[in-house]
Amino acid sequence: MNNTILELKNISHKYENNLALDKVNLKINSGDKIGLLGKSGSGKSTLISVLNGTIKPTQGEVKIYNKRFEELDRKRLSKITTIWQDLRLIEDLSAEQNVNCGLLAEKNFYFALKNLLNISSFKKAHKYMKLCNLKSSIYNKKIRKLSGGQKQRVAIARSLIQGSNILLADEPFNNLDPKLITKIKNLLLENADENETKLPRTILVALHRLDLLSNFDKVIGLKDGKIFFNIERTNLKKFHLDKIY
Amino acid sequence: MNKLKLNYTSISFIPILVCIPLGYQLINNLHFGGFNLFQEFLISAINPKIENEIIFTVINRLNETFLIGYFSWLVSIIFGVIFGILSSNIFYKIFNIPNFFYVLIKFFLTIIRSLHEGVWALVLMQLYGINFSTGIIAICIPSIAVNSKVFSEQLETIEYKSFESIKQIHPPKFSSLLTLIWNPIINTFKNFGLYRLECSIRSTVILGFFGLGGIGTSIFLSFQTLNFRELWTYLWSLAILIILPKVIFKKIKFNLLNKNLSLFLIAVFFITIIFSVSYFLYFIFNNNFGNFNFIISLFKSSSNLSFLDFLGIIMDTIILSLLSTGVAISLPPLVIGIFNNKTSKIIIKIFSFLLRLIPTPVILITLLTFNNPSLSLAALTLGLHNAAITTKLLFKNLDSQDKRNYIAMKSLGISKKTSWLLGLFSQQAKSYLAYCAYRSDIIIRETAIVGVIGGVGLGWQLQESLSSFAWKEITIVLIAYSSISIVGELINGKIKNSLT
Repeated sequence: MNNTILELKNISHKYENNLALDKVNLKINSGDKIGLLGKSGSGKSTLISVLNGTIKPTQGEVKIYNKRFEELDRKRLSKITTIWQDLRLIEDLSAEQNVNCGLLAEKNFYFALKNLLNISSFKKAHKYMKLCNLKSSIYNKKIRKLSGGQKQRVAIARSLIQGSNILLADEPFNNLDPKLITKIKNLLLENADENETKLPRTILVALHRLDLLSNFDKVIGLKDGKIFFNIERTNLKKFHLDKIY
Repeated sequence: MNKLKLNYTSISFIPILVCIPLGYQLINNLHFGGFNLFQEFLISAINPKIENEIIFTVINRLNETFLIGYFSWLVSIIFGVIFGILSSNIFYKIFNIPNFFYVLIKFFLTIIRSLHEGVWALVLMQLYGINFSTGIIAICIPSIAVNSKVFSEQLETIEYKSFESIKQIHPPKFSSLLTLIWNPIINTFKNFGLYRLECSIRSTVILGFFGLGGIGTSIFLSFQTLNFRELWTYLWSLAILIILPKVIFKKIKFNLLNKNLSLFLIAVFFITIIFSVSYFLYFIFNNNFGNFNFIISLFKSSSNLSFLDFLGIIMDTIILSLLSTGVAISLPPLVIGIFNNKTSKIIIKIFSFLLRLIPTPVILITLLTFNNPSLSLAALTLGLHNAAITTKLLFKNLDSQDKRNYIAMKSLGISKKTSWLLGLFSQQAKSYLAYCAYRSDIIIRETAIVGVIGGVGLGWQLQESLSSFAWKEITIVLIAYSSISIVGELINGKIKNSLT
């Protein structure tokens, strides 16, 4: 059975004269846990932006569930969630309000208003924040008052609360200490939640630390916008890495 | 010889050169016929009339002023938010509406904003007569456009990344819009709302000069009867009315996280929209529909104004704006820099408060007691009033500035004035000039008011044309006035952008 949920066909993308992606072909199957490696500027962030539809590539075709972006409805599109490298949280809102924003796709306008007025229920948000090791004392603090690590975990909680099937993450372990990295990595990759909260099954994570690759099934190596390898993690050898670094 | 180097600091002082032609004309027009009156005016400031009858009148007039000002403010702030959203690019990005509508609505609001509320009042009064509704509508029309500009400017600062992150969640479009605009709007309202209430009250006072009621009418009548003690009773009570909301709002801390308060504010928001739209439609179409015969008059009437006369009036208005702007930009740093000690600072603050408090028509009439009416006198009036406003801002910014450079320079033996100039003002000059660019927009619009009283420029011509129901002439004057304001706004916008 074909269980490909994301597919890139001959994708190229240019920023003015700079070729960020060069004829990329990629298939992501349901349940894949992929680590995306590459130097800074190799095209990792562009690839994630193409996959989530933020960037329309200059050439090629992107298919999700075998359909083009334009053919998918809002609810279906919300099944892809992204943790951005620069987090993209709303600075003036509190941590719990930001996490609740992840629920906007499944809720109506009234919920959005109640969230801004701080009168909506934060039960679900708190559950995900707790999962990301955030202490209750920061729940109602504004984002601008949080540390880098706390902001990072709020961004992760906001993505997870969406209940999406696919998670795209651009260096999500930045700003986290080693203990938290292990915890969050286990949460994302092993679905290690004792309360069986719904977490994404298909994951693509851009990384530049090789020691974080341990729980991934597959590894993709990017250099100068081209995919140099797309292999099982267990087959990853030094010469693969030499090609891209 | 050293050449003058142009930088933000020197540019802040160069406009003071306008004082040379200004001073020349003022000295030539000097007379001492009204010196006693001027003296009486000054003495009355510390001896206002306090009698039961006056107190009752003051309370009634303040009541009227506050109600007109408050309703105008409420309506203009709420519709300012709505039009601010409609004229911000975030709205068009979320709803995928063609940019043409964005340009169209911005253009429409620019035209509305280009005419001073006094001009709107004069025209509306001619059409609908003198009543409170005319006053409120005259204030609301340009204020909505001004507020919408401020709100849309804030909404334009929403980061594209925030927009993308919310868009990526794929919420309903109205939910995206609300989530993104909520904080910029609340913050703008917090920072700007009270100032706009003050503006509405000041506008109400100005419209009172044209007979629309409130304390403005009383001020004008007492001035006409040369009853200066009564005049100062009204002026001081007006000061209380302006200061009181500031004191009250400082004490009250609005907690928008309070459920009941939030619901109350939302209710006020929607009730105001429903009420004001219904009333506006009733006002326009019910009792006053017959007044629309002015459109027929427009085609029947002719204009006696020759092209050269008209060009002269336009030039007068432009010169008036330039001279006033020159005074408003350079006078504050010059005076603060020269008289740089604690006592002078207090005196300057008192003067600038009085010049802000006293409406421009009263300043102008007072100055007429020892000077013949002229373009320079009108420019001086407008310049002084606006200089008082820029002084307030400059003091506020200087007070909150890091003074280490200033202290270091003084400790090196550099004179106090030079230390102030290089250690304090030089760091403020850029932002000060950016604010002055915005202020000069307002000055251009205000030329209409001093024009009406001082007998110069398009303001005066508008008054003349209105009193003879020369609708064609009125239309030409309004188009010219609006064009000057729009061109001024475009130039000032470019200057402001290059400074920020």
